[in-house]
Amino acid sequence: MPTRPAHWGDPELSKFDPLPRIMAFDKFSDGMRGYTALVGNYEYTLDNVLPGFRDMNQPMLSNGSHWETGTHGALSGTYALKIASRPRPRSVNMALKRMTFRKACPIQIEAYFALKPEATDMLLSDLDVGAFGLVLDLQDNERRIMPHVRYLNAFDGKRQQKWQYKSMLETPHEVGGDASTGETRSHHHFGADGWVDVPGGAQELCYNEVPTKYNWHYFKLGFDLASMSFTHLQCNDRVFDVSTLEPMRMGAWPNLNCMLNVCWTIESDSNKRAYLYLDSVLVSGDWADA
Amino acid sequence: MRESISAVVARNDLWEGVATSEPYEVAWASEAVIFLRNLGSTGTPELARAWVQISPDGLNWVDEGTLLEIPREGGLKSARIRGFGAFMRVMTVLPQGSSFKALLTFSLKE
Repeated sequence: MPTRPAHWGDPELSKFDPLPRIMAFDKFSDGMRGYTALVGNYEYTLDNVLPGFRDMNQPMLSNGSHWETGTHGALSGTYALKIASRPRPRSVNMALKRMTFRKACPIQIEAYFALKPEATDMLLSDLDVGAFGLVLDLQDNERRIMPHVRYLNAFDGKRQQKWQYKSMLETPHEVGGDASTGETRSHHHFGADGWVDVPGGAQELCYNEVPTKYNWHYFKLGFDLASMSFTHLQCNDRVFDVSTLEPMRMGAWPNLNCMLNVCWTIESDSNKRAYLYLDSVLVSGDWADA
Repeated sequence: MRESISAVVARNDLWEGVATSEPYEVAWASEAVIFLRNLGSTGTPELARAWVQISPDGLNWVDEGTLLEIPREGGLKSARIRGFGAFMRVMTVLPQGSSFKALLTFSLKE
């Protein structure tokens, strides 16, 4: 008789497929759990934040209340972490959790998510959300590595419905204006250019007919911190070939060693706010301390 | 432990004319202190007032009844409120020629 993994006995964990050691298990009905807003780097004044970062603000705890159905709730409880864009095309917001790793090992990020536009029209509205994505921001002693994957739902009003990755580097800029110290830089790494289709990466998600219904989806990304390469990309019943996927690779930046940031993005494709709801996120790894 | 979140809802956003902060979900919270900073202004926005609005759905808004002063450049103003439902935002109407860069923080507690 096959043995079941021990975590299957835990009703909260059994819907995940974690690696042996859990680094963070964040169920947002328990609170914000350390997820916060990204502020673009700056010196002296917030006016020096690069334009692509200026729309970003704090994520929120959402019970998913809608005008015609009331509270929707989340998958594991009442609240989800909600990341909201501004109501204009290509506006991006991000929420992230900042960690470090103690061994370069395989890691996995799993989540239950839902994706919806603002319900301002009594119409299908399924092309209003542009994209959502996951960025890992990693650094070992020699390299800064940034795996980027996203689900591109729509672009300029046209249906896309496919997974993409980005390895193209964006130019870093100093952020102190004329008085830049040269010690702090910023790069608009999640910008709209340079995304490449994941081979066989077309996928239709469960939009479900009107903007106020949302169905929770499963997402899993695997990445090996030793080889700094993708190991897995999955959404619901689809597992994608990651053999050609590349992260952004650059030389180490100052003061970022062992960084492990888990960054979720949402992008609008219309004059409506786009929302990414995260019910829960689990970060796990496979290591033993030497 | 009671959950608490200080949410920076507007960060260096330029407020001019009719201005509102982005909708923020607060159904989990029972009390809020709203802080408004002026990071740089043109004209005299401090002669206007802002006010709190609440919403059941993030789409339809009604005045909550609390007024909030707009600070002079470099200043900070606050207001305390309770019992605000699902969504909250701050709204103002500034006279022509007046604007400021808003840093708006909701300090929320369960």
